[in-house]
Amino acid sequence: MTKDKRSRGTGSDAPGPDLKTERDEFLKKFSRGSQLTEEFLKEHERMLSRVQDLESENAGLRAKVEADRAVRELLQKIDRLEREKSELISRYREAEAITTEFTARVQEVESEFANLANLFVASNQLHSSLSPRGVTRRIKEVLAQLVGAERYAMYLVNPDREELVPIASEGVPGDQLLPIRIVGTRIGEVLKKGSASVADSDPSQGTLQDPPAVIPLSVDDRVVGTIAIFSTLAQKNKFDTVDFELFKLLGQHAAQALVAASLFAQAEHKLPGLEAFLDLSV
Amino acid sequence: MAEYSCLIVEDSPMMRQLLVFALARVRNLRVTEADDGVDGLRKLASARYDIIVTDINMPIMDGLKLVKRVRSDPVHKDTPIVIITTEGSQEDRQRALQLGANAYITKPIQAPQVIATVKELLKIE
Repeated sequence: MTKDKRSRGTGSDAPGPDLKTERDEFLKKFSRGSQLTEEFLKEHERMLSRVQDLESENAGLRAKVEADRAVRELLQKIDRLEREKSELISRYREAEAITTEFTARVQEVESEFANLANLFVASNQLHSSLSPRGVTRRIKEVLAQLVGAERYAMYLVNPDREELVPIASEGVPGDQLLPIRIVGTRIGEVLKKGSASVADSDPSQGTLQDPPAVIPLSVDDRVVGTIAIFSTLAQKNKFDTVDFELFKLLGQHAAQALVAASLFAQAEHKLPGLEAFLDLSV
Repeated sequence: MAEYSCLIVEDSPMMRQLLVFALARVRNLRVTEADDGVDGLRKLASARYDIIVTDINMPIMDGLKLVKRVRSDPVHKDTPIVIITTEGSQEDRQRALQLGANAYITKPIQAPQVIATVKELLKIE
């Protein structure tokens, strides 16, 4: 049909005006098509590049998500480990507290054992002699070795209970070792009251006039004398619990041991006959 | 477990008894007693001891003479010696340590102190 129009319009080989217009339109359209194709290709390339960017971004995000998950897991692990650590620290502290308590208890028991050993040895020594001299020597030894007394004297009350007479001493000059009136003296007061008098001050600084410790000596609930400690060794600057226990022990046993030894000496070391024990009705 | 032997040289029976009680708290320690320095030397001549605990003031031979004799004895010259005494002055302590004693305890003795000193010298836990 186009061919027909061309032949009819001009009548020569040159294209007719319609055909020219058609050609121009075609060329215009072709050019436009070409332009669109180019634009399309460019757009395609841009889109490809954009897809690549997005894929890369996506990969980055994926990696980030993975990393975040790993971090979350690590954080959870850290939390768990922190809890375990707290628990272990708590258990360790509990164990430490128990150990400290146990160590303190062991020390306490060891100290008690040492005190009991002191008391046992003192008691054992006081009753291990049946001579008045031997008993006196042992009383002095308990005072010197266990209590740490440096200057001391032992007194017994006279029959009319007016004076305390010194029967043994250590570290006290002879001219100062005199009988003591019971009335109006601290040593005499202890005899009257029957309870020990122990000062709070440093016993190593004690004097003859102001003894740091005075202990009553009893026989069968009767107070028959006293021990006065005038001063202790320089390194003994306070009385401990065991010293107070030793004072009690001396108060209850020293005079009894002394009386028993004196009676045994008076009986010329004869043991009582069996008949002395038969009527005990125990 | 290692066994240790200790020689106590002390003239007072009471102090000896007290030291024996105290040292009975040290595991694996066998204790032998001597009445004075001469008795101590006699016992040292017949047996070997890991440690010696001695009083200073004793009749016949005192503790300081005993320390001198022990330090000149090839068998016991390195044996640790603990001195027990009523003297608490720094000079007395120095004198005893200069003669060769390893430790110095003043009376009245505290059993835990004696135990700790003996354990330390014998390196017992």
